[in-house]
Amino acid sequence: MFSRRVGYLCAIAAIWALPLFFTDTYWRTNLIVCALNVMLAIGLDFVLGYAGQLNLGQSAFYGLGAYVSTLLIMRLGVPFWIAFVAAVAFSSLAGILLSLFAMRLRGHYLAIASLGFAVITYQILLNWISLTQGPLGIYAIPPPPAVTLPWLPKIDFHDLGNLFYLVAGFALLSYFLLDQLVRSPIGATLTAIREDEVSASSLGINCAAWKVFAFGVGSGIAGAAGCFYAGFVGTLVPDAFFVTESFTILAMVVVGGMGTLIGPVAGAVLLTVLPEFLRGLGDWRLMVYGAALTAVVLFMPGGIVQAAQLVRRRLPAGETRK
Amino acid sequence: MTVVLQQAINGVVLGSLYVLVALGLTLIYGVLVQINFAHADIVTLGAFAAYFFTHGLGGGYIPSIAVAFLVGGALGWLMNAAVFAPLQSRSELLPLIATIGVSVLLENAMLAAFGPIPYAFESPYSNEVIRFGGTFITLQNVLIIAVSVLTIVLLYAFMKFTFLGKALRAVAQDRETAGLMGINPNQLVMLTFVIASALAGMAGAMLGPVLVLNPFAGTSVIVKAFAIVIIGGFGNVEGTILAGLLVGLIESFTTQYLGPGLIDIVVFALLLLMLAIRPTGLIAEKREENV
Repeated sequence: MFSRRVGYLCAIAAIWALPLFFTDTYWRTNLIVCALNVMLAIGLDFVLGYAGQLNLGQSAFYGLGAYVSTLLIMRLGVPFWIAFVAAVAFSSLAGILLSLFAMRLRGHYLAIASLGFAVITYQILLNWISLTQGPLGIYAIPPPPAVTLPWLPKIDFHDLGNLFYLVAGFALLSYFLLDQLVRSPIGATLTAIREDEVSASSLGINCAAWKVFAFGVGSGIAGAAGCFYAGFVGTLVPDAFFVTESFTILAMVVVGGMGTLIGPVAGAVLLTVLPEFLRGLGDWRLMVYGAALTAVVLFMPGGIVQAAQLVRRRLPAGETRK
Repeated sequence: MTVVLQQAINGVVLGSLYVLVALGLTLIYGVLVQINFAHADIVTLGAFAAYFFTHGLGGGYIPSIAVAFLVGGALGWLMNAAVFAPLQSRSELLPLIATIGVSVLLENAMLAAFGPIPYAFESPYSNEVIRFGGTFITLQNVLIIAVSVLTIVLLYAFMKFTFLGKALRAVAQDRETAGLMGINPNQLVMLTFVIASALAGMAGAMLGPVLVLNPFAGTSVIVKAFAIVIIGGFGNVEGTILAGLLVGLIESFTTQYLGPGLIDIVVFALLLLMLAIRPTGLIAEKREENV
């Protein structure tokens, strides 16, 4: 079994190598979308897979991050990285606001409350025309500013390869952060809340406070992804953050495997890349998300991770040393 | 004054449609404590079934409501057999997630099959107008209110006076004890799904000519139906009816005085407020698992 450090080194090597293999705009665009979806999926998984709270508002936090950073940059001339921090903080605060409802609600009620939150956010983005320009959208959003490091050529983020390094770097950083969290006692605390809230509180766990924490972290990561999305696409329209986006992210988490971190990464990559290979099917390819989500819940609720474990168990004993 | 009266009429019409959709959700929640996200797509499929029956096969509009009723019921049976029955013993969130999957699947399938452009579903009753004073109501809207009231009365009578209805209420109260009394809970869950989805299909046939008919027709209604069942109290039929009419009225008056863009915001602000203040709904019931 790989040690964690080797795993991270492999991930860094893979991120470094990918743009070298995929040099055309089409695939580099897909790479960046993959990295964004990885961030959204692991952020949701922290709330859903670990703390056990079904949050259907991830599309709203994504959109808030995108709009807050873009408006700060384009309306007020705030530097990109300050706007980035503000966007993450704002999304995180919105998540905390929503979790104040989650403190009293569980299961289905929370799912509907968070769905309502996503609908309200979408409608505000669509109707507050003086601020967001509504369905007309905001155009010509600049990418993150170029970075100059000593002894290196200037890193310009108009180049999609460099932009991929930036987004994937932050995706890896988010993964590392969440990995540290879930392997610390905090991870065990959240899992205890997921499994049985009453028993958890009888052990002295403050369930409400930890749910607020999980929502804050998960939605903050979505806000960061939104900020990069705006700089990457260059155009913002509210439709990009419609409620169905939450369902797509949910599909990535569930298909990969809830309650593991590597699973949602695999799910995000698979469900981003697979529809691209199915372009020959026309509009029918979009059925992949729903079909995969339903099939996984019915036949393999552990997702890709569970499938991988099954395969590993079937291999000859010699290869499965731990 | 006429404006207020007119909007009140429109609100009651919308509210009646929402009640038909929300009643199904609440019935299912009552016996199974589960939410069917794909309920929306049963509404849409009911609307398309009625559309193709009248515009494709040349059938009448009233029979098409019955067709949508049957199609909805069949879809409900399928939904329970394929998703809820196999997942019954699993954790409470898995069936909900599976129905989100089914909903996304059906929506994209309908999008691929029917395209995003709205269909012109014409009802022969939409153009006949009854006037009194300065206000008017189309015959279609009278039909909607009449069918909704009739459905509610029949449903009430069924639940109150028939053996099956009593058995259903027994299962909703206590599934295990009902099982011990010789009632087969699984069959009654199936029956609930069929009734709930048949109502959804019927609602689809009636809202097709009134609202927009495209693959997302049901989704715009279901989001409000969710708000209605929570505002009314999940599993509570009287509360659902009351909340449905309330949301219909809120929608029509918001359209008149604040602008149509604000409807969802007002409805969901009310929902979130309700959850914060009185999460058991307008008419409280002793069901505390989610609160």
